[in-house]
Amino acid sequence: MFILSVETWQITLFSLAVGLASTLVILPLGILAAWFFARKEWPLKSVVETFVLLPLVMPPVSTGLILLKIFGRRSPVGRWLYDRGIEIVFNWKGVLVAMAVMSFPLLVRAARASFSEVNPRLEQVAATLGASPVRIFFVITIPLALRGIVAGALLAFSRALGEFGATILLAGNIPGKTQTLSLAIFNFVQLGKDREAYILLGITVVLAFVSVWSSEWLLRSQKRA
Amino acid sequence: MLLRCRIPLAEFELDIDVSFDARVTSIFGPSGSGKTTLLDAIAGLRRVSEGEIEIDGKVLFSSPRGIDLSPQERSVGYVPQEGALFPHLSVKKNILFGGKRNNDSGTTQAFTMEHVVDVLEIRSLLDRPVTMLSGGESQRVALARAILSHPQLLLLDEPLAALDVGLKEKILPYLARVRDEFCVPIIYVTHNMSEVLTLADWVFMIRRGRLIAQGIPRDVLGSPLALSKMEEDTIENVFTVAVVDSDREGGRSKVRTESDLELFIPYVEEPAHRLFQIRLSADDILVGTQRPEGISAGNVLPGKISKIESLDGQAVLTMDAGDVFYVRLTPSAVTKLSLQEGTPVFLIIKARSFRVL
Repeated sequence: MFILSVETWQITLFSLAVGLASTLVILPLGILAAWFFARKEWPLKSVVETFVLLPLVMPPVSTGLILLKIFGRRSPVGRWLYDRGIEIVFNWKGVLVAMAVMSFPLLVRAARASFSEVNPRLEQVAATLGASPVRIFFVITIPLALRGIVAGALLAFSRALGEFGATILLAGNIPGKTQTLSLAIFNFVQLGKDREAYILLGITVVLAFVSVWSSEWLLRSQKRA
Repeated sequence: MLLRCRIPLAEFELDIDVSFDARVTSIFGPSGSGKTTLLDAIAGLRRVSEGEIEIDGKVLFSSPRGIDLSPQERSVGYVPQEGALFPHLSVKKNILFGGKRNNDSGTTQAFTMEHVVDVLEIRSLLDRPVTMLSGGESQRVALARAILSHPQLLLLDEPLAALDVGLKEKILPYLARVRDEFCVPIIYVTHNMSEVLTLADWVFMIRRGRLIAQGIPRDVLGSPLALSKMEEDTIENVFTVAVVDSDREGGRSKVRTESDLELFIPYVEEPAHRLFQIRLSADDILVGTQRPEGISAGNVLPGKISKIESLDGQAVLTMDAGDVFYVRLTPSAVTKLSLQEGTPVFLIIKARSFRVL
């Protein structure tokens, strides 16, 4: 039973690879957004924050539909990208975009909380010691918030692996092309291939467990420190 | 040094305009009077709405001239109250953090890490994580870090406030060494009088954002009038006493102060020889030029006026009547009785005016 079929391997590795890519893509953006939310004030900040967090609570299918409208070839954005040879819809890039948008809020929330816990006095003292804002950010702020950022990234990664609703709308469920673990499970159950579905189910449970467990562990050790 | 700034705060406006030139200048005032805000303004960590800040001819901030140097450009070493060491770096990395500042910012002194480490006696701590330091050690490391950034001015925000009394006395000599060894002018914020007297050459007394008094610490802190402005406008006489004799029926006790002056106070159940403190407001003492007869007051003390200070419609008299008493009168009372320094007087104090602490 533990000897996985080529198809299972393909699905698992595809999910892991795109999930990882999505996490890496949102990481710099998420860190920056989280830092702005934690440290800066501007008018309508709470509105911006709410928009960023929206995918967390909106039905994923709704988010998927919005993304489809944005990136579809008939929209200005989709056309602009298409003219430059980039097509998002119904291929792996669609999977990546869906995963990224859906998991972004989780990263931002964890990282923002982590940045808020960094004593601004430390950054101020670093400035009086002559450190540039960039050096302060990388040598003081990021290391002190690192656990929260990594924990957030792990959460985001887990969320990406579990993505279903937005993915199926934006990228479709194309075996060998856009089919992730979640989509494949759905597919196998539909086709009555319960055994295959259960194997994939097992894999998702293990991945989710490792991811959430290490993220929790990191967050707890940050509180202690 | 020139320091003129206005900063609106939640409850009052910080409005200071001073110039000074001392090795250690102390900013002395109760908590919440704007002391830390002032240091933040000098360090460039807080917006100043209007003013000018100048150190050694270098303009750090000037609203009329549109100058506002960043904290990085100011060459000001800041040791905030909590020390603010970087918790993820070792002691050594902490103290070398600022060393990378280019040394051409007009700084003349250059101290080596070796020198600073020796003066502050932190060599044995260098490889430790800062989370493993005691309060006193943290303060010394924070000092070393600030000094090694080669500042033109050192700002110390209550460096001893978080330490207990025994430890304070151990750190004070290090501060004195920093003052004598590194020739960097220091601005020292505190609400502790003895720290001012030990370290500072000049003191600014501030309260609710305003300058109340300035001068040589001995003069300023020896002035009851200036001190009264600090303490919510009350002047208290405090004596440490022991019971000599108690009369429960008569409702009063006789106590003796440390200067062997005997006073009557309300009856207390204190065993003989146990020391305790009593308080007396400077407003609760009557002054007479002749010994009064036929009055109820329990204490009539002959004495002499040693000092009279007048300001803002009040006169504070320092009296020597077997012990030192501060008495506050109206200036018209002083005129009416022709009171002068040296005038012999009688102090009349009701026993019940004393409060036992």
